[in-house]
Amino acid sequence: MKQKNIKFMVGSLLIVGAIGYLITMSISNTSQYFFTVDELMSQNVSYTGAGLKIKGNVVNGSIERDPNDYLDVKFLIEEKDASLKVTYQGVTPDMFADGREVVVEGTLGKDGVFKANTLLTSCPSKYEAEKEAGKMHPGKFPDADKYGEPGLNKAEALPKTTI
Amino acid sequence: MNDIGEFTLLLALATAVYGCVAYIMSARGNRIDLYLSADKTPFIVWACVMTSSICLWRAFLTDDFSLQYVWAYSNIELDTFYKVSSFWGGQKGSLLFWTLLLSTYMLVVYFQNRKKNLRVVPYAMAIMLVIVVFFLVLINFSTNPFERIPLPPEDGRGLNPLLQNYWMVIHPPTLYLGYVGFTVPFAFAVAALISKDLDDGWIRMTRKWTLISWFFLCMGNLFGASWAYVELGWGGYWAWDPVENAAFMPLLIATAYLHSVMIQEKKDMMKVWNMSLILLTFSMTIFGTFITRSGLIQSVHTFDEATLGYFFLGFLFVIITSCAALIISRLPLLKSANELDSFLSRESSFLFNNLLLLGIAFATFWGTIFPIISEAVRGVKITVGPPFYNQVNVPIGLALLALVGIGPVIAWRRATLSNLKKNFLKPLLAAMVGAMAMFPVIPLGSRAEIYTYATFVISIFVLSCILAEFYKGTVARMGLHEESVAGALSTMAWRNKRRYGGYIVHIGVVMIFAGIAGSQAYGTHTEKHLKLGESFEIRGYTIRYEKLVAIEATNIKTRIIAQLAVERDGKRYWTGHPEKEFYKGQNQPVSEVDVLSTWKEDLYMILADFREDESATIKVYVNPMVSWMWTGGWIIAFGAMVSMWPDRLEQRRRLDRIRKQEQLFLSPAQE
Repeated sequence: MKQKNIKFMVGSLLIVGAIGYLITMSISNTSQYFFTVDELMSQNVSYTGAGLKIKGNVVNGSIERDPNDYLDVKFLIEEKDASLKVTYQGVTPDMFADGREVVVEGTLGKDGVFKANTLLTSCPSKYEAEKEAGKMHPGKFPDADKYGEPGLNKAEALPKTTI
Repeated sequence: MNDIGEFTLLLALATAVYGCVAYIMSARGNRIDLYLSADKTPFIVWACVMTSSICLWRAFLTDDFSLQYVWAYSNIELDTFYKVSSFWGGQKGSLLFWTLLLSTYMLVVYFQNRKKNLRVVPYAMAIMLVIVVFFLVLINFSTNPFERIPLPPEDGRGLNPLLQNYWMVIHPPTLYLGYVGFTVPFAFAVAALISKDLDDGWIRMTRKWTLISWFFLCMGNLFGASWAYVELGWGGYWAWDPVENAAFMPLLIATAYLHSVMIQEKKDMMKVWNMSLILLTFSMTIFGTFITRSGLIQSVHTFDEATLGYFFLGFLFVIITSCAALIISRLPLLKSANELDSFLSRESSFLFNNLLLLGIAFATFWGTIFPIISEAVRGVKITVGPPFYNQVNVPIGLALLALVGIGPVIAWRRATLSNLKKNFLKPLLAAMVGAMAMFPVIPLGSRAEIYTYATFVISIFVLSCILAEFYKGTVARMGLHEESVAGALSTMAWRNKRRYGGYIVHIGVVMIFAGIAGSQAYGTHTEKHLKLGESFEIRGYTIRYEKLVAIEATNIKTRIIAQLAVERDGKRYWTGHPEKEFYKGQNQPVSEVDVLSTWKEDLYMILADFREDESATIKVYVNPMVSWMWTGGWIIAFGAMVSMWPDRLEQRRRLDRIRKQEQLFLSPAQE
């Protein structure tokens, strides 16, 4: 009886061990450091080349798009007086605009420019909108023009037709 | 009306507190008078919560913007359909909705088990009432949905357009039905521990509840994935976001529990294990709520009130410590009657299935909380993303998939060689034939592609195992009765609903595995900025950008629609209309994707951007086999229905049992 129990203990431990090994291996393989912009700037160690995830707010008026390649975007993100230059290739999310809080994932180049391969904007949402709205008189809509990009992404940009 | 709503919430809280005290005192002191009084509370609590909910619904439907919550999540022009669903659109309402479901479940349990087992049921009711009290305290004192605005505004702020989607209407209630449902088996488990009535009575009493909750949790996850796929427009259905993980972990542990209770029923083993699993499942539902309400973990969707999370954390702490203490104090009573005999047996295959499911759950848990841990230990926040989850969970998932085939077929206690040969030789051969047939056609360049190939091969093995079971059963029945193939098959399945329902669920699971594997490994995407008339190619499709139109759909919604012709071999094949919608009062547009879905692959189109000169950025994904997942989901739903369907044979057995119990407990109490 005892022996049998030992046998199953060993078997189970093997499985648990294998899973544990997979987890630790994968953590060291795939982890990314998470900083806000100011935290990144105040680090003593250089994180050049390491996988990074950086949070910050888009600096007003800093979004530049290549006129020939619309999918090539450059912008600045800031947090508490520190700012970081970011380049990104691809479609930007619906909510990407001046002043928005974004999270970029990628690597920091030697030139100090952050090459992002993913660009996330924080929650679309009602939840966040509630905070904004809390500051103003109830019933007033948040000012849409403050966030919308002029000319771009606006329904009025096109002549209206009906089908 | 709003005052009534507020008042009934307080009344519900007072009644629930009284009820739970009275139930416990009546059970401890054997006081039938107190019991009779306590036994009225579940109905009163339910009626109060229901009244309060009706008041909130009324406020939504009559556009009563004097309530802050209604103002924040509705406006005059919102569809009635969405006005009803706005009820659970935000934090306050979702907690009330949770309480409503919980008290409804409690009422059903009350009617089901009234006067049935007077030793366990009072404690179970008390436990459920404690949980109701927790939620009612939150609602009454922290996030009251009936909070007023002194000067009612004329119109509300409106529901987030992303949530105006039919999946989003059914996804949260489905998930909640699952989450809340596990309260019932949990309450009965704790009640069994307290009353020391530790045979499998509590498992039998709550078996249906477990199944139903599991079913809703599973569907809730799938609905959420569907919503993400059609509404969020990033081409995927699962991102390992903490909030998704929060819904996924209880599902995994519940699946483990669902399987291991079968071993306890059949073999009277794994008692401590089952107790721990149901405790863990329930804790995970609370932990999931904690994650979504705390803002502690960076996620793309979080509720804003950070303080509420700590209530849940405190509650979680109390539950885990008290239940763990309770289990430890009852350890001597939880001895198993049998022991594991051999690795090659159904018992151990269930044990391994449990370990693997818990392994996936733990890896997911670890990845979710890793940022917090690393910050505490090393002072640096380290996050892990989808690559981590895929690296860990895919190999474990493959082993699990193989067990889906082995577990239900392998012999009990100890499988002999001839046994194994009889059960597994043919499925193994089928898998090998499949492997060789697929080898030349399937690319095997990367690790993902190799994993996918392995998934397909194992899927064939599992499917052959399951189909062989159906085949064997049908042939056996046809030998005994004069029946057609279809007749024999359906009667056989109907006579053994639990078993064959389970097999059907497994078929659905295999399809979901195959769908995930196919879409993860062979997908591709392109994004292009196009002028009118320009085109590009992807996977043999030619996508031509034809025109862009703007439509004012309603006074609050403007739609910008791109027309894309899809050509294949020079012929027009389909026309896609991805669009962007602009809502009055919302800051950001919403992308509406267009998907051409076939068995082979989905062609998934997004209008990413457009400019005044009518040029537009189009993103196109080719996602193979995604529809397999949704089909697999419906098969799971069907299989779960079959196994949940009331069984007359089982009812008779249950009645017998109850009669015996009544003789044991009820008659002395009445004397």
